[in-house]
Amino acid sequence: MVAPAQAIQTRQLTKIYPGFWKSQKVPALLQLNLQVQQGEIFGLLGPNGSGKTTTIKLLLGLINPTAGEAQVMGRPAGDQETRRRIGYLPEESYLYRFLNARQTLDFYGRLFNMNRVQRRRAVDYYLDFVGLDPAVRGRRIGTYSKGQTRRVALAQALLNNPDLIIMDEPTSGLDPVGILEIKNMILRLKQAGKTVLLSTHQLADVEDVCDRLVILYRGRVEMSGALSDLLERRDVFQLEARQVSPELQERLVALTRESGATDVQIIRPRARLEDLFKRLVDAKRQTERAGK
Amino acid sequence: MGWNWFGPVATTRWVFSAKLGRYGLVPQQHLGLVSILAAVLVGVLILAFILVAFRDLGRLRTGISRAWAIGRTAFTEAWSARIWAIYIIWLGLVLILAFTMVRGYGPADEMRMYLTIFLRGQVVLLLLYLGILACMALPRERERRTLITTGSKPISRLELLLGKVLGLSTAALVLVLAMMVTTWGFMTLVNAKIRHDAGVLYAMQKRSYDQLVRHVPPEPGLRYLARHGVLQASNNLRGRLRIAGLISYATNPPQRELKGGSAEKLLFQFPSLPATWQPQAPPLFIFHLPPFSLLKRQVPKKTIIHVTLTANDNPLHRKHKVLTLNADGDAVWQPSNPYKFFSFVDPRNGRVYDPGPVTVGVTCPTLGDYLLVGNGRTAASAACKAWNMDPNRVPGHLSFVLPQPDPRIFGFMKSKHQTWQEIAGATTAQKNIPPEVASMEFRHLQASQVPIDHDGNFTVDLLLGVNKHFNEAAPAKALIRAYAVDNPRHPVQRLIRVEEKHVTTLKLPATLLDGSSLIINLQSAVPGLWIKLRSNSITLARPPSPFIANLGKSELIIFCETVLLISIGVAAGTCLGWPVALLVTAVCYLLGSILEFIHRMFDQISQGFSFFHGGEHAAWSAHLGWLIRAVMVRTLYFLVHVVPDFTRFDPTRFIVQSVNMPWAFLGWNLLWTVIFVLPTLALGYLLLRRQELA
Ligand SMILES: Nc1ncnc2c1ncn2[C@@H]1O[C@H](COP(=O)(O)OP(=O)(O)OP(=O)(O)O)[C@@H](O)[C@H]1O
Ligand SMILES: [Mg+2]
Repeated sequence: MVAPAQAIQTRQLTKIYPGFWKSQKVPALLQLNLQVQQGEIFGLLGPNGSGKTTTIKLLLGLINPTAGEAQVMGRPAGDQETRRRIGYLPEESYLYRFLNARQTLDFYGRLFNMNRVQRRRAVDYYLDFVGLDPAVRGRRIGTYSKGQTRRVALAQALLNNPDLIIMDEPTSGLDPVGILEIKNMILRLKQAGKTVLLSTHQLADVEDVCDRLVILYRGRVEMSGALSDLLERRDVFQLEARQVSPELQERLVALTRESGATDVQIIRPRARLEDLFKRLVDAKRQTERAGK
Repeated sequence: MGWNWFGPVATTRWVFSAKLGRYGLVPQQHLGLVSILAAVLVGVLILAFILVAFRDLGRLRTGISRAWAIGRTAFTEAWSARIWAIYIIWLGLVLILAFTMVRGYGPADEMRMYLTIFLRGQVVLLLLYLGILACMALPRERERRTLITTGSKPISRLELLLGKVLGLSTAALVLVLAMMVTTWGFMTLVNAKIRHDAGVLYAMQKRSYDQLVRHVPPEPGLRYLARHGVLQASNNLRGRLRIAGLISYATNPPQRELKGGSAEKLLFQFPSLPATWQPQAPPLFIFHLPPFSLLKRQVPKKTIIHVTLTANDNPLHRKHKVLTLNADGDAVWQPSNPYKFFSFVDPRNGRVYDPGPVTVGVTCPTLGDYLLVGNGRTAASAACKAWNMDPNRVPGHLSFVLPQPDPRIFGFMKSKHQTWQEIAGATTAQKNIPPEVASMEFRHLQASQVPIDHDGNFTVDLLLGVNKHFNEAAPAKALIRAYAVDNPRHPVQRLIRVEEKHVTTLKLPATLLDGSSLIINLQSAVPGLWIKLRSNSITLARPPSPFIANLGKSELIIFCETVLLISIGVAAGTCLGWPVALLVTAVCYLLGSILEFIHRMFDQISQGFSFFHGGEHAAWSAHLGWLIRAVMVRTLYFLVHVVPDFTRFDPTRFIVQSVNMPWAFLGWNLLWTVIFVLPTLALGYLLLRRQELA
């Protein structure tokens, strides 16, 4: 079996933002060694200001490293040809305010040297894909709500059908349905064999989709590894069942205690708010569509 | 193209020939060569800079569509920033100006004013607004951080830069086209009125001239307007103008100087020695040319002159020497090996020939230095004296001074800004001083190049001024002598009346046009009368061309100027925030607009420079002041030469005079734009290449 190729590889990657005086210098990222295999979903975690966005900008060649090197798809970071195969969703949706959604995607399509037919097809497809309300597509982005802008930004990142998708806090500003959709989308991307680099504060998202992750703190890697290895609690046991009578519960607890287990307790799982919200919005949309 | 052909190159040439030569760092014989080499070197360096910067140009083949995509977006941005408002503002402004200011002028002036208002208004608004947009193009993207998204796409920085310039240039083009159509429509509307008024006025002028109520002949421009209206542009042929003649009257101040660094040349004619002269008494030339340095406002310690000695019968037989004048302007030259020069030995029979009269020519290479040229009427004022050059002298008798014959300055102090220059007439007091001659040369002129009327004549237009220095009462008359170079024995002579700054039309027989060069000589016909002229004062009339084409050329020049400013603005915005970028662009434009002013300032100061003599005895503080001033003037001089010369773009220069813009003028302007846009973009690219976009 051939070992999966590296989508991203960094060696001692360091970024120290320059300042006028030495005290003003910001060590944003220190000696990062990162390996992301092709086809996996990789999480980049850390508190605010820990260097996640800095790492991503370095990988895209938007800023120059102070030391170390980074390779993306086997080429040095920032290579013009490599960027053809990368989709990037910035942490805030930096789009031209004076263009509408179609014009924006059309513009980025031109930057990917798509021809007219390809562009028209891709623009409509991805605007539908990210679920942008058709009513707003002809308006200037400057007038969009935050989530609507975010959706355009997402479409922009997927436009070239990239092999590597880098997302910086993809779920910020989205409604719960959108968040769910994004999570599903990420999983679908993985199925299609794409690599995803994800930076986020929503640990739930990470938990749901990521294969591996690193946690950064003040520019240094504090922890890294496969999600399952990191989270699995081998000493805890959980049992789930419906229609269990109170007596049976008592007996089960007693049985467990007798066999020497500690910290035995009964937890009643609640439906997640996320699911409730989704059901509600889906129902609304259904009736809306039926009304039309 | 003179000194200011291309700033950096010309400046290098100037620094080398003026500075290194003066302090003897370069052997003086090689000075010219070294300065040319230095200029070429700088030119090559600039080219190399451009090539290095555009090394990535090869990849641009697929990138031009991406650059254009960025350009489209920049255009959309400009459009959504309501750039069309510029058109509305312009239209409102020029219409208000046109209807309030243009009242009660003659029809010719009316047209001139309309066009000036319409075109100047375009220049001002376009430069202002697009300059601002260009300066904000990249800084605003950086501030709004849209560069992060765009920069993550497969574009290169060069495409980004070019895209911005392309987009804004397109916006400028759209505006220019709209304004051009509007201007054309307006001129078409007022055409009928201007024609009518011109016809009435011309008839009136002609009547009063025929009845000799007024002495001024009717203006031919009016007749032209009455016939063709404003929807045509006249064409003409221009030649090369030179002035040759004596220096000035010794008694009266307006003295002529030899301008350093210009094309002017001082010529002295000397009779040669007889063939049987004595080698023990070699000839000797003594120069007295008091120098003055405008840059230091004082007498320079050393000034260089280039001297040539030419045998009149054999121009290839010449000697060259670089001399250094001392502070009093004195220098001495004894040509080496004079025997060979002054007597020509025929190798076949050993006979010794007298080579005939010789000419001594003097030029000064240092820009900013002026040499005062005396006319030699008194021994002290002689600019060049020669020892032992009298053919009648007694052999063996050594000390014999021959005063100079009439010195002549040859050449036309050609400057872009068209100052009037005077040619002196004969003196009223001393009848033996001949008048100066202005000579216009039309190279290789065929009869097919100019229209010939039924009588077999072609038309010469003369635009002259008069200066009655010494003879207020005299009528203003000029003598014209025209001949073909191949046939100088049969000149056509005309005596014309000079009307101050009116075009005088002259008919000359087409037999003069034989395919060789046509020479038209002009001199004052009245003693004491000086005639003023500029380098385009004598022209040949050609068939007119349509107004719209001429307007198109003017608009193209406006467009070029805007594109140049856009490139400067975008390049400045690559590494600066927009306020500073705006400042830099504005300073560039200002410095680029004062080149003409600085040249004119030098010319004007020179006319009274003799008052500043006597710098040697001044206090040290004064010397320090001069030094600081000299450094500052040179710095300014260097700067105005490095930035593009914006005064070159003159869209109203031809069209307001109903004259068709020559293609050469347009071509030079296009070339000039390219010459400066390329290095500007190269510089911008070098700055942007390794920059962080986030
Ligand atoms: N242009 C800059 N100049 C100076 N310092 C910077 C610059 N950009 C980021 N920093 C600093 O670098 C550090 C890391 O920033 P970065 O944006 O990578 O954090 P992050 O992990 O993405 O944080 P967040 O979760 O808030 O997005 C921060 O301390 C930040 O202040
Ligand atoms: Mg961040």
